[in-house]
Amino acid sequence: MDARKRDRIATIVFWGIGLVTLGILAFIIIEIFGRGLITALSPSFFSGKPEAKQVGGGIGPMIVSSLYLAALSMLIALPVSIGAAIHMAEYAREGRFNNFIRFCLDSLATLPSIVFGIFGLTLFVITFRWSYCLLAGAFTLALLNLPILLRGAEESIKLVPQTYREASMSLGASRWTTIKRVVLPSAMPGIITGTVLPVGRIMGESAVVIFTTGLFIRTIPLSPFDPAAPLAGYIWYAQTEATVLDYRKIVNGGAAILLILVFLINFAARRFARFYAKRKQLEVKF
Amino acid sequence: MARERYIKLLLVACASLSFLAILLIFIFIFKESMPAITKAGFGNLFLSTQWNPDQGHYGMLAFLNGTILTTLGGLIIGAPLGIGTAIFLDQMAPKKMGTLIRRGVELLAGIPSVVIGWFGLTILVPFVARLTNSSGYGIAAASIVLAVMVLPTITALTTETLRSLPPELREASLAMGATRWQSIRSVLLPAAREGILVAVILGMGRAMGETMAVQMVIGNSRQLTFSLTKGTGTLTSRMVTDMGEATGVFRSALFAQALVLLVLAMLLIIVIRVVTRKRKA
Amino acid sequence: MKRTRTLFDLRSSASRLKIIFPLVTLLVFSVGLAGCSLQRSGVIRVAGSTTVLPLAQEGADCFMDMRNGTNILVQGGGSSVGISQLKERIIDIAMSSRELTADENDGNIIDNRIALDVIALVVNPGLKIENLSKQEVKDILTGNIRNWSEVGGEDAAIVVVVRDSASGTRQMFDQIALDKEQTISSAIECNSNGIVRETVGSTPDSIGYVSLGYVNSLIRAISYDGVVPSEQSGKDGSYPLSRYLHMFTGLNPKQMAQDFIAYVLSPDFQSQVVAQDYIPISEN
Repeated sequence: MDARKRDRIATIVFWGIGLVTLGILAFIIIEIFGRGLITALSPSFFSGKPEAKQVGGGIGPMIVSSLYLAALSMLIALPVSIGAAIHMAEYAREGRFNNFIRFCLDSLATLPSIVFGIFGLTLFVITFRWSYCLLAGAFTLALLNLPILLRGAEESIKLVPQTYREASMSLGASRWTTIKRVVLPSAMPGIITGTVLPVGRIMGESAVVIFTTGLFIRTIPLSPFDPAAPLAGYIWYAQTEATVLDYRKIVNGGAAILLILVFLINFAARRFARFYAKRKQLEVKF
Repeated sequence: MARERYIKLLLVACASLSFLAILLIFIFIFKESMPAITKAGFGNLFLSTQWNPDQGHYGMLAFLNGTILTTLGGLIIGAPLGIGTAIFLDQMAPKKMGTLIRRGVELLAGIPSVVIGWFGLTILVPFVARLTNSSGYGIAAASIVLAVMVLPTITALTTETLRSLPPELREASLAMGATRWQSIRSVLLPAAREGILVAVILGMGRAMGETMAVQMVIGNSRQLTFSLTKGTGTLTSRMVTDMGEATGVFRSALFAQALVLLVLAMLLIIVIRVVTRKRKA
Repeated sequence: MKRTRTLFDLRSSASRLKIIFPLVTLLVFSVGLAGCSLQRSGVIRVAGSTTVLPLAQEGADCFMDMRNGTNILVQGGGSSVGISQLKERIIDIAMSSRELTADENDGNIIDNRIALDVIALVVNPGLKIENLSKQEVKDILTGNIRNWSEVGGEDAAIVVVVRDSASGTRQMFDQIALDKEQTISSAIECNSNGIVRETVGSTPDSIGYVSLGYVNSLIRAISYDGVVPSEQSGKDGSYPLSRYLHMFTGLNPKQMAQDFIAYVLSPDFQSQVVAQDYIPISEN
């Protein structure tokens, strides 16, 4: 078989794979929206209160809980992970210790989320005596995302060309000033897009919230010490216990809303990263 | 400058906090699994297929088998799809279609595992049941679900790798008259080999640690099986099923399963390190 | 003048780390332990079995309607999680679908039985089975009988669906119906009544067990040893597969927690529960 023929066959194969993937994506997204969009868009659903026994419950408090939880968790996780990343990338001596930390981080990244959930239960809910609350969930999720955030931030910082740093320091800027004004802004777009996956993870995590924040709370949480039922956990609860007759509708609607939220967050993060890059007149590849 | 020093201190504090967090989790897993190892015994836990907590049998081999088979299944389906899609996107996809697939893959990555599991339960399991005249639960369904979940990871990482290859590579190859496929096969893929391997291994890690989605479609029975359509369990699905109600040695045995997963993850990371270090040499 | 060495003079960050690290650890734990007090007035926390959860939530809703200003927070987590949290005094009431184990029963827990849960054997609607004797049920679930034709049905392999190992329902079932023999290893384990119903309902030739209140058109309840499962037969004892649902408290529960439990046990609420056909109860 000559080279041209092989090339043609290969092209067909790859096109086939591309179409299959597109097909899978389309199938899933269409299924989710097909089953749940109508429910998701009805105000009584996305702003109503959940019902324990009767049909017609909504998931209003759940949506608020999810967003609140995401914000709280990132508030805790981002500064720590960026700070640690700066330390590891810029200040610390490249040695066995650092490598060891990276190794531990990578290993933790694949640990099942339920283990984090029980850890959060043991430490925050029981030992610290916070009981079920958003804060316990936020800290636990921050822990869950720490590996990804930290490694991502570190990689983004390392990607900043060394010439930037040298130029800055040769102009007399101190180490920290260089970081603050040159390295960090350059790394920011990468760091921002690196938060998309963790935020998506927070919104979609159920195993953690079951044990730390609560499962069926009908009120909107106000303080971080209030218990809350984020959407992903509630979806799990609804389909496991199935105590209301329309639980399928609730699960489908909840799934559709989650998909919309994730899409919006992805979109917003990308937009923001681009805006930031433009503001700082950076040259970044997208 | 004092300010500089305070900042440095703050950064070290951040790093310490992270390190503390990591340490705590490792200690937690070890501590919680100790009672099982000491009371139930190493053989009972790690070398037995008998899972009967009521009678003191905590053998996890059946579930380790489940984890391995479902992970392999997920990779066999997901890796070629992911790598192929990445090559497709990189080489021959029209711009609009490419963006569509890319955004779609990102979206897929953000879908919670409960939702994927839910669709696995309501669509996939009945489908497999009809196809194979069985209950529909089992390794086949779980592999498909896992493939869907690792697809974004493998696609994204392979795309990254391909993008980071110097463009001169392709240009040189094409300039010498090679067809596109020849360039892909003989130049691109070998150059990207290590990045692709990392992508696959990280996908493997993701598949091993997946909790909710697998638990909904695997059937959660305690039999060791190699059949695609008989209900069985994985290490993670066992944890989800039992953790809420388990106490004492039973609970500790579940943590021992988490320990096994952690050790497996560490082994995978070591493999990645070895592979990537060889390149640098 | 000699310049004193400060923390900042440590050259390597590794040695800096060695000093900062324990300080940070200390700080974190002291902040954490000084955490928010739980004794907020007007709040009772209830957690534990997800089987009891809907019942408790219903009770909480009614109770909060009756008494303005009270706040009852109901959680899940599982019976074991609830009981251990009760012991740590994190929550006020632990819901449980099982009795206390010997380890847990340290004399500091008060047991309130709030409902009787009747467990019905259910089969996929496609099967024509109406009744199974105790021996037949035992043989099916342990794997001695593997085909429906052996008990009067058609020629089809039996799919067994059970609850997870630590479930209170499962423990009761294993004890009473199986005389503590082992379930067949190919049995599909489910986390909850809902999932058992879902599984049995959609898997042909399957058999399982659920709380009576979960029986709907998806599945079909059968008689056990000739007795039809119902609230009545559970109460009068002719139907053996039943167990109590509990709300455990500490020795000195808050006044409101006591009032809440009293309300749950009151004829008012109990009749509501029966009317909703959820979990049949018996007066205690």
